[in-house]
Order: sequence, then C-alpha cells, then structure tokens
Amino acid sequence: MRSAAGPVPDTRSAVDGVWTVRKELPIWLAVVCGLGLLVFLLSGQFFYLNLLTVALLFGGLAVSWNIIGGYGGQFSIAHSVFFAIGAYTAGNLFKHFDISPWISLIPAMVLSAGIAALVSWPVFRLKGPFFAIATMALTEVAIAFAMHFDLITGGASGLTIPYRAGLENMIFQARWAYAVLFLGYLAAALAVSVIVYRSRLGFYLQAVRDNENAAEASGINVLATKLKGMAISAALTGAGGVFYMMYVRIVEPAGLLSLFDVGVKIALIALIGGIGTIYGPLLGALLLIPLDYWLRAFVGSAVPGGNLMVLALILILGALFMKRGIFGALKQALDAVWRRQ
Amino acid sequence: MSAVHLGIETVSKRFGGIVAVNDVSFGVGSGDLVSLIGPNGAGKTTLFNILTGQLSPTAGRVVYEGADISRERPSRRARLGLGRTFQISQTLTSLTVLENAMIGAFLHHAALREAAETALAALEKVGLDHRAGELAGHLTLGERRRLEVARALSMEPRVLLLDEVMAGLNQTEVNRIVDLVLALNEAGHTIIVIEHNLKVVRAFSKRVLVLDRGNLIADGSASEVLSDPDVIDAYIGKKKR
Repeated sequence: MRSAAGPVPDTRSAVDGVWTVRKELPIWLAVVCGLGLLVFLLSGQFFYLNLLTVALLFGGLAVSWNIIGGYGGQFSIAHSVFFAIGAYTAGNLFKHFDISPWISLIPAMVLSAGIAALVSWPVFRLKGPFFAIATMALTEVAIAFAMHFDLITGGASGLTIPYRAGLENMIFQARWAYAVLFLGYLAAALAVSVIVYRSRLGFYLQAVRDNENAAEASGINVLATKLKGMAISAALTGAGGVFYMMYVRIVEPAGLLSLFDVGVKIALIALIGGIGTIYGPLLGALLLIPLDYWLRAFVGSAVPGGNLMVLALILILGALFMKRGIFGALKQALDAVWRRQ
Repeated sequence: MSAVHLGIETVSKRFGGIVAVNDVSFGVGSGDLVSLIGPNGAGKTTLFNILTGQLSPTAGRVVYEGADISRERPSRRARLGLGRTFQISQTLTSLTVLENAMIGAFLHHAALREAAETALAALEKVGLDHRAGELAGHLTLGERRRLEVARALSMEPRVLLLDEVMAGLNQTEVNRIVDLVLALNEAGHTIIVIEHNLKVVRAFSKRVLVLDRGNLIADGSASEVLSDPDVIDAYIGKKKR
C-alpha cells in the first residue's frame, strides 16, 4: 500500500527521526562510561563508594522493572519475588554444589522468568490498581513460602554462603570490585531496556499500556506482549538477585522480600526518576538511594518515620507535577529551551 | 460482485434484555464498497465489533474467506486482514503521530525503519504527515479520526472497516477521506463504512445496508435504498398517511 507518488522530501526526516538501537548506542555508552568514571573517582572513598554501589544495583533493578512497569504500564510491586528467586538460586547452588554464580545466572534468570510468566498469567486480567494489589498479595505469599521452605531459604534466620574470594566466585576483597560488578549489571540491564524500547516489542508494550482496545485491533496479542515484557523484566531482576547474594552473602526472607525496602522501592525509584523513559529509572536510583540514606540518618533518627514522610511527600509532588518523573521534567525543560532558540 | 469474503450468518447480540442485533445475515464480496447506515442505536457499531471480534455474538457466526472466525481474538482477525477504526478514537496519547501509525505497520514489518516508512505513507494519505513528530495526544478530534484511519491503513488490511470516520471533519477533510476510500476500493480493498452523511453514502453509491433497531431493513444500491419508504421512516419518522 505504498504511495505511488513516491517519497515526499520534507517528511523523510520523520523516518530518519525514528530512534533505532544504533542511534541509542552512543548515549548508552556515554552513560556507562560516565558512571565508570564516577566509580573510579570514588574508589578510595569507602562511604560514597558503598552508596554508589547500592545505587547502581537499584538502578539496574529499576531499569529492569521499567520494562514491564514503565513501557508496559503494569505496575508490579512484586519484583522483590524475582529478586529473591535469583538470590536463593545462586546462594544454594554456590553453598551446596559449589557452582559459580556466573553460571548460576542462567538458571536464576530462567527460573525468575518462568515463575513470573506463570504467576502473571492469571493476574494480567486485572488492570491498574487491581493488578498492583494482586502483586502485593504475591509478595506476601512468597514470604510465607520462604519461611516454610527453610531447607532452601534458611527460614527466618536466613541463608549464609561461605566467604571464598575470587573472580570465579564473584566474591571480592576490594570494595570497588562490587561497584564495577553492579555497574556491569546496570549496563547490561540498560542495554536490554534500550533494545526492547527501540524494537517492535517496546512499541507493542507502550500500545498495550496506552490502550488495550487499539492494541488488539492493531493485531497485537495483548496477553502475549505483557507476558514477554514481564519475563524479560523478571529475568533481569533475578540476575540482580544473584549479584546481590554474592555482595551481602547473607539474605533472609524479611529483608529480601520486604515490600518497602525492595518491592515498592524499585517501583518508586522508577516512578520518581521517570517511568517509561530509558534513563529515568537510573537517574531515580542515583538521586533516591543517597537521599534515602541521608533521610534515614538525619531525619529518621530525629523523628521516627520522618524519612518515610519526606519520601512520601516527594512521591506525591512527583505524581502531581511530573508525569514522566524527574527525567521527563528535565527533558521537557530542555525541549522548551530548544524550541525558543 | 464476487463470492462472499466477509459475512455474518444469522447473528444476534443481546445485552441483558436488550437486543442490539437481531438475526442479521449479510455477506460482502471481495473488493466491495459497502455502506452501513441507520439511526443512532441501530446496532451498527455492535455489528462492527462482532465482525472484528471486540464482541462475540450471542447467536450466529462470522465467516471470513470460507472459515468460521467467530471465536478468534481481535488481534488474530487483524492478522488475517481485518483492519478497523473506532467510532470513539482510540488514540495512543503518549506516542507520536508517526508511532501511532507504526503500531499498525508493525503487523507486517518487524523492522523499525520499514514500519516507519509504511506508517508515513499512510499518514500522507490521510494528510497528517506534516504532524508525524507530534504527540498524538495533542491532535484535535478530527485529526485523531484521520490518525485512526492511518493506523488501520498501516496494517495493510484486506478488509477495512471504518466507523464514522467523517464525523467532525470539515468539508475538505471529508472530500479527502472520500477520495481516499474510493481510491483504496479501486485498488482492490474490501471496505465497509458506517456513515451518517448521506451525501457521502451517495458518493460511494454502491451497496447500502440499513440497520434499524437491530434489524436489517434494506440492502441494495444507494438510490434504491435511500428512496425506500421504510428507510425514510426509520430516519425521519413515519409520515401521516
């Protein structure tokens, strides 16, 4: 159904303006290199390096979450479940079978994706807040399971793995090595996110988010699209769990599956940073993790719960005035300046 | 007129106690241009939704190219070649105009660039190419209707179902869409339109189906149907005789 009149010159730019993965690559590289430089600069500063390490981990998790939560608009707060699956898979394989966590990445990701698809299947019939509530229930079920199967999880007292430093064990003496490790994780998650966003699946996820009716009528299998997005998102989150396990070497269900410290936090970071944008969730992690720490230390110690109140206020303001988070607001401001010139 | 391409057989649709479509059968031949008219609430859009799968019929079946597609999902029917627009524009507001059309184009073009080219060609046809880069949420209602057509066109469908795409358009825009529909039909597309504008229906002039309170009350050429006393009654009320 091509126009017989041939291409019109002045609209060709519209096609050229379509951002492909190749065009996105330099930006991705610049972001990763910039963060690498930051790791290098902070490598001697213990406190800030640790903060950055955690920020990079949560950056990777939020970027992963964003694939289904942002692009696909399915607001899951159950990603802690996939995070925990990754951690328990790597922890048990390392502890009992001496399997390198690098190898464990594969079963961890497959298991996370598989379970994610399985539990999402019925839940994806629910829309908007109902979906979010169902995922919250899923977290509670997962905690109950984790407490019960103490052979795998160590029950309430947690799962500990032995300290055996070495690259093959993903356990390092130097703290900066973990920063580099999590930077690698973030870079990989970001790369997958870019590839998804700049491909048919990314467009389909957004179409499903905006209007399921229109998506179906355009030939998009809505359920299959959601399941694909969820599986990719969960696999990446599971990988994050593997890295986290090797970083802390002890995990217990209450911490790993905590709704506020993991499940909601991941979603919150993406939401405030810029839900549905490529780099927003990363920006959110870089800002929110240090802020969260600072609030805990200073506000939380003075007024119990004060840190949460400040975070809630930020979230409310963000939801009211920045639909696409801080990243979206910045982009809008830049576009306005650009247009004025 | 060739053999039946898309059709329904003794289809009824009830919503609770309300009969929206009552035992309607018709077939559309390949390459036909058919107008579906009738007063508000006659069941036209319901019939469209049954054809493209947004609704399933209470009784009867939908047939496409000799196969019963009554149980197929809308996305599957789209892949089989049924493209449609919605009476209330279903715009993807967070995407650009071009990206909206690309959503349709991806059906046959997985690569981003090819999809963009197909989408842009469709936008040119409805006269929206100059707004390709804008957010679709910024479009006026009339433009959104044209965008609906562009998205459906991008799917390169074999059958195109247009639900009141002229509503809210100005005369220039109406003429443009009329020309477009005629050209598409000339190129071999099967087209079914729901239309209120009788001038437009006359312009298409081929076959007109009239629905009134869920019943198919007339089926024939435009001149025949529009002078049918039953149709006139349905539209402007019964004359005192």
